Amino acid sequence: MNITNINERVKNSNIKNSLSFKLSMVFIGIAGILIVSSMIFIFIIVSKERKEYAEREAENVLISLSTSIRSDIDNYRNVSRLIAYESRVKDFLKATSRDVMQTLKLSEAARLGTLEYLNITNGVDSVFIFRNDLQYMTTHISRQDYHFDLNRMAEDDWLEPLLELKGRASLSLNGNGAIFRGDGKTVLTINRAVYDNVSQKQTGYLFMNISIGFLEDEISQLKNDDICVLTTDGVYLTGNAELAHYYEGVEIPEDIIHKEIEDEENKMILSAMKLQRLPITLLYAIKEEKRLLPMELLYIILLLPMVYFICVFLAGLFIRKNITSPVFALTNEINKNTSGDSLVKIEREFPKNEIGMIKDTYNNMVEHTNELWEKLLENEQTIQKSQMRVLQEQIKPHFLYNSLETIGYLAVDAGAEKVHSALETLGSFYRNFLSKGDREIPLKREITITKDYLSLQKLRYGDIINDEYDIAEDTEECIIPKLILQPLVENSIYHGIRMKGEKGTIKISSRLVDGDLHIIVRDTGVGMSEDQIEKVLSSEQIDTDKGDGLGGSFGLWGTIERIRCYCDKDDVVKIQSEPGEYTEIEIIINMKAKNWRMMNVQSNADR
Amino acid sequence: MYRVMLIDDEESARKLMRASINWEELNMEVVGEAASGIEAINVIDDMKPDIAFVDISMPFMNGIEFTELATKRYPNLIIIIMTAIDQFEYARKCVSLPVFEYMLKPIVRAEVNATLAAVKAKLDEKQVKPEEHTESENAEKIEASTIDQIKMYIEANYTDSKLNLTSVAQHFGFSASYLSRKFKQETGKNFVEYLTECRMNAAMKLAQANVKMFKASDEVGIPDPNYFGRCFKKYAGVSYSEYVALKNLKD
Repeated sequence: MNITNINERVKNSNIKNSLSFKLSMVFIGIAGILIVSSMIFIFIIVSKERKEYAEREAENVLISLSTSIRSDIDNYRNVSRLIAYESRVKDFLKATSRDVMQTLKLSEAARLGTLEYLNITNGVDSVFIFRNDLQYMTTHISRQDYHFDLNRMAEDDWLEPLLELKGRASLSLNGNGAIFRGDGKTVLTINRAVYDNVSQKQTGYLFMNISIGFLEDEISQLKNDDICVLTTDGVYLTGNAELAHYYEGVEIPEDIIHKEIEDEENKMILSAMKLQRLPITLLYAIKEEKRLLPMELLYIILLLPMVYFICVFLAGLFIRKNITSPVFALTNEINKNTSGDSLVKIEREFPKNEIGMIKDTYNNMVEHTNELWEKLLENEQTIQKSQMRVLQEQIKPHFLYNSLETIGYLAVDAGAEKVHSALETLGSFYRNFLSKGDREIPLKREITITKDYLSLQKLRYGDIINDEYDIAEDTEECIIPKLILQPLVENSIYHGIRMKGEKGTIKISSRLVDGDLHIIVRDTGVGMSEDQIEKVLSSEQIDTDKGDGLGGSFGLWGTIERIRCYCDKDDVVKIQSEPGEYTEIEIIINMKAKNWRMMNVQSNADR
Repeated sequence: MYRVMLIDDEESARKLMRASINWEELNMEVVGEAASGIEAINVIDDMKPDIAFVDISMPFMNGIEFTELATKRYPNLIIIIMTAIDQFEYARKCVSLPVFEYMLKPIVRAEVNATLAAVKAKLDEKQVKPEEHTESENAEKIEASTIDQIKMYIEANYTDSKLNLTSVAQHFGFSASYLSRKFKQETGKNFVEYLTECRMNAAMKLAQANVKMFKASDEVGIPDPNYFGRCFKKYAGVSYSEYVALKNLKD
């Protein structure tokens, strides 16, 4: 698996673990908590505030309504007083009973006097003026009939409170139970006992009936449907009749009370006010859906989550700009080092904060690592060089060659031509065998090495070895790894021909087929068993000490491994054998694939 | 017959070369040997070789230095560099030198024969061409005074180890063979004899002053003390150390 794959995988698996992901999660969480908590907070404030606001509004409405009702009533009172002291009315009251009965003039005059006032006053339904002898005069504005309950009027609890007021006006409903309008509608009655202003004697009673129309007018002026006017006893007068249900004759102080009412139809705040010294109660309902909020509160309500949101957003931006983005950038920079030979420092500028510290630390580490690496490399090279030097010291080719030449001359001088030849071959063999530097050589030279080797071996083993060559001309310059042929020939001698004990032939041939170089070493030795072939071809590491059943063919196995390594594939050697007859080892090296190698070698040599 | 000179500090290598190659078959003969670049410079004008085998690793003046000098002075000389494998890379660095071939030591007869066959073919081809040996006789006639000048030049420059007949001839604008002949006519001595005489006289003086041989050899322009020793013995009849001993005895 290559590095980018790993990176990709790490990246994927890390998305959930990444800081930015976690941070966004945290921010979303914080924003959620803030918004929810502010909602709850706002809800609490709002519901309280709304109630108070509604109550204040109700108070305002009720007070203004009561004030105007009171002023209307004061007005009617004044009118009733003016009527009571009108001269014709006074005359009517002062006259003797007989005069009144005999002539209608007195009552007619009194009616006219009354009408003069009534004509300039709205809302008065009728005026009844009773004399103490219960003769009376009525003045109707509306066309309604009125009935009197004279019995009621005779009762003490009806008369006495009137007399106790000593001429001052009081207000009652339906003449405190003695007057009934023909259509059954309730009327407000201003009652007063009338006194003679000279004699200070009580001369009669005046009842001024005011239709509740004036209340309707007052309410309609407010353009509000949620107002209801009741009597103190709970009798509906005017306004929104629905609200009257909620008034259960509760004792209402002469002040305003608020009550929250919730049933299946309505949810509202009901405010009630009893008018002082008047038998009237006002109800005002602010229904849930009509409840309003003060504007400032609305602004705050809107502002609060927005402020939260902006705060969270800014915090997010801050963290992104100062932490996550630099961390990503840093990671990218560091990732660049996953390829390449030596580590590279991060050149990019980072803010001089903790991120910058990480960068500096990383750069220091890179520097240190590179130093270590260089030191290691240097050490390695020094060791290699010293090892090489030791090897060279051991070999001392110059000394070897000069010695060979010296001995060669001695041989020539002594007429030992064979000795000279053998020394020459040995010299040639070592010259090629030890040739420094090149790990890869042309096949031609490998063949020379092998020939020299074979001719030296022939000197040792006499005539049992016969060698043949069939080298195609176009293969001579093919570049092959050095010393791959000689070990095969060595193997042929020691594990093939010599084991057989009779004369054998080693044939080396080569040919080029489709860019593949085939090198074949065939010997007529004892051959190899299937088992041996398998072992030699197995690419498993073999314990060198034991030889592990290779029967000493370790050199062959090692050579095959070397070729495999060079060609970078396993399928490079074929072995055919018939035990007791022959062994044929074929090496196949692809020349095309190895061209670049030659070029590499060339360019290395040029350097 | 082409003339072959072997320059190698290993005597056995020279002898082997001489003995293992069938020179006559190649129409060649080995006319001389030199054990160092210094010796080669001193004797090359006498031997007039067509072909020189030059070993690279030699003391005092190695094969590369000699080759650089020789290719300037003897443009027709065919040089074959001999090198052991451990100096091959060094030799390759001098690939700009116009040498005929680089050969690996130890020598293999087949390789040497093949190379010499190629050399022979090249030399044969040259000889077929019309001779261009018209230069020397046309050259300015050397007068006695010129020979005096040359003598003075030698006396002033004999400490230069690279000085030889050809370099002097080139310095004065003559051909070497003409100068050699004229020099003999005028002075009755060989050029090389004269140069050696100068150096040996100086060496004797140094010997009288008890200067060590290796120092004396360097000072008189033969920095190879082995060759210097041979020259001295030939000239003075005794070796340098004997000469110093005798002189001390006299005192």
